Amino acid sequence: MMVKIAAVFVMGTAVGVMYRIPRGLLPYGGLNAVLAWLVAYLLGAAGMSVVAAIFFGSVALGAAAEALARLLRKPATIFIIPGFIPLVPGREAYTTMRWLVEGQHGDALAMGMQTLLTAGAIAFGIFVSITVYRLALTYMYNFRKGAGRC
Amino acid sequence: MPLEEIVALAVLAGEVMLRNGAETSRVEETMAHIARACGASAAECFVIPTGVFLNVTDASGRSLTTMRRITDRTINLDRIAKVNELSRRLAANRLGCAEAKALLARIARERTGFTLLPSMIASGLVGGCYAALQDGGPWEAVAALLAAMAVRYIAHVVSRLQGVRFTFEFLGALTAAAFGSAAHYLWPGLGRDLIVVGGIMPLVPGVAITNAIRDVIAGDLLSGLSRGLEAALTSVAVAMGVVIVLAVV
Repeated sequence: MMVKIAAVFVMGTAVGVMYRIPRGLLPYGGLNAVLAWLVAYLLGAAGMSVVAAIFFGSVALGAAAEALARLLRKPATIFIIPGFIPLVPGREAYTTMRWLVEGQHGDALAMGMQTLLTAGAIAFGIFVSITVYRLALTYMYNFRKGAGRC
Repeated sequence: MPLEEIVALAVLAGEVMLRNGAETSRVEETMAHIARACGASAAECFVIPTGVFLNVTDASGRSLTTMRRITDRTINLDRIAKVNELSRRLAANRLGCAEAKALLARIARERTGFTLLPSMIASGLVGGCYAALQDGGPWEAVAALLAAMAVRYIAHVVSRLQGVRFTFEFLGALTAAAFGSAAHYLWPGLGRDLIVVGGIMPLVPGVAITNAIRDVIAGDLLSGLSRGLEAALTSVAVAMGVVIVLAVV
C-alpha cells in the first residue's frame, strides 16, 4: 500500500516533468495524483465497481485542481494532467488488444467496453467537478452582489 | 501604444500559448486582456487549434484584423503559465506594454524544461511506476521503466520529422511492444503484458484529453471536437503499434 502510494506520487511528478509544468509546482502534481488514486482505490476496496470508483476519484481530482489553480493563480490544466494519468485504463486497453489478436472476440468486447467506460468515467468526473465548481463560483458571486445591495 | 503594436503583441501571446498546448478560452481571454491593457477599446478573437484570428479597435474607432496560422504544436505548460502571469501583471498595471513585449519575446525563445536525459528518466518512471501499480514485480517494473525510456528516445529521434502526425505514437508503441516481447522471450519469468503496458503509458495524450474536456465545457465546441479527435486518433495509433507486434510475435 505504502509502496503504491509512493509509486503514484513519483508517477505524478514524472508526468509533470514530461509535460514541462513549472518546476516549483511538481510536488502539487504528485500530491494530486495521490489524492485521485487514493479515493479511487479506497472506494474500490469498499466494494464499489471500478468505473464508479474511478469516477469519484476523478471528481476529487478535478475539485482539488480547480482549488489549487485558484489558490496559486496558475492554469488548472497543470494540476489535472499529472492527477489523472495513474487512473488511465492502460492495462485494460492492452488486454483488449491482446484478446482481439488472439481471436477471443467475446472477452475482448467485454474488456473493450470496460476500457471505454473507465476512460469515460475519468473524462466525465473532471467535467462534473469543473462544472460544479463554476456554478458554485457564479452562485457565490451573485449572492455577494445581492447581499451588498441589501 | 499604436494599434499595429498592440495587435502584434496580443497575437504573439496567443501564438505562444496555442503552440504550447493551452485551451481555447484561455488563449482568447489572454489576448483580449493584453489588447485592452495596452490601450485598445475593444478586442475580438477567435481561436481554433490550428489558427488565431484577432480584431482590435482603438479609441479613435480604427480597427485592425490579423490572423496567424499555427502548424507545429508542442507541449510546454511552463510557457503557458508564464504568459498567463504576464497578462495578469499587464492587466493590473504592474507591467508596461514595452516591457511586456520584450518579456514575451524572451518567453517564446527561451528553452525551458528539461534536457533529453531527465525527460527520458521521467518517461521511464511513469512506465515503471504504472507497472508497479498494477501489481507487477520489481523486475517487471524495471523492464517497463527501460521500455518507457526507449519510447521517449524514439520521440526525440522522430520529432525532427515535422508535419508527420501520429508517427511518434505508432513507432513508440511498436518499440514498447517489441521490447516487452523480447524481454519475455529472453527471461520467460517476466510477464510481457505489464512491460508493454508500462511502455505505452507515456504515450497517453494527456493534454489533448484535458483540453478537449475544458473546451467543450467552455462552449468552444469546434476546438473541443478537434482535440477529442486528436486524442482518439492518438490512442488508435498506439493500439495499432501494439497490435502489429502482438500479431507477428
